[in-house]
Amino acid sequence: MNISVYIIPIFILCLLIYSFYKKVNIYYAFVEGAKQSLQLIFDIFPFLIAMFLMIEVFKNSGLSLYLSEGLSPIFSFLGIPKELIELTLIRPFTGSGSLALVSEIYTTYGIDTYIGRCASVIMGSSETVFYVSAVYFSKTSVKKLGYALPLSLFMNLFGAVISCLLCKIM
Amino acid sequence: MNRVFSVIIFISLVLLLIFSPENFINSLINGAEKGVNLSFSLICIYAVWMSILELIKQTKLNEKLKKLLHPLIKKLFKIKDNTEAENEIAINISSNLLGMGNAATPSGIKAMQLLDDKSGKMNRPMSILMMLNACALQIIPTTIIGLRVYAGSSNASDILLPSIIATFTTSSLAVFIALIIEKQKRKQKK
Repeated sequence: MNISVYIIPIFILCLLIYSFYKKVNIYYAFVEGAKQSLQLIFDIFPFLIAMFLMIEVFKNSGLSLYLSEGLSPIFSFLGIPKELIELTLIRPFTGSGSLALVSEIYTTYGIDTYIGRCASVIMGSSETVFYVSAVYFSKTSVKKLGYALPLSLFMNLFGAVISCLLCKIM
Repeated sequence: MNRVFSVIIFISLVLLLIFSPENFINSLINGAEKGVNLSFSLICIYAVWMSILELIKQTKLNEKLKKLLHPLIKKLFKIKDNTEAENEIAINISSNLLGMGNAATPSGIKAMQLLDDKSGKMNRPMSILMMLNACALQIIPTTIIGLRVYAGSSNASDILLPSIIATFTTSSLAVFIALIIEKQKRKQKK
């Protein structure tokens, strides 16, 4: 049995014990959590639907296949399997889009397979760079991000390479 | 995003019309259906994690983490006389670490605003903060683990360790490279 199975449950239990100790209203926290989850979904629902629409036609039209085949030499050189090219490419643009792709990858290639695990780790170690750079600087005088944007994008690609490597050995 | 979306959906739909027109409307509706299904699973996932995060907030564990990070932030960012900005950075980083994306974004925006020197250019602390946020520095990738559980994984948290290693490697490397570039910049100015 893998130790990682226990990490999150133990964390949650410790948090509960600590909450008892701190006399926090635990019931209220769970009610509040459920409420917030609905609000969050309300916010991202339209984006999720639009993204799924795009991905579905992108796949069914065969365009995704052409793109993956065309780019696979570059990505296989980097150690990224061709099933994950789309995810790596779309990740910096949209969070809901990449979430949509990951759930597609789970149903097509399986969750506990090499591809499924790689997709998970890529998601856990990358960010929607374009979104972050647009939102974070929206209230500043900064017009050009200079080296920060290309470096962020490069690090995300590098993260994908490392993720695929780590999933091979771990 | 609009450009990317429009281009992809336009080319795909033209290709569909040429090669399999019977799938044209089908694909669109299927896509929407998949989106609805994922939204439902996300409600369940978020309901659990938001509750956990609420407990973290109520027990003030995030404040403790923030205090713990303070000396590190002082050393790394080297901000002069701007405790307010330092504070926002601490909130941003600790929220990111705990996977509280909702709290991370507003504090990130505020931090950038406070760091802004009105020159229209990025400065050193801004670049570092951007790097940390671009590499998704976090301890538990909550949404992904939840999605894996939902999809029926036999060991959903099996990706925890590789994820942590990956995000910490890229984050520290990104900051390191940014620091080197900043040093070079300063040398050129002299």
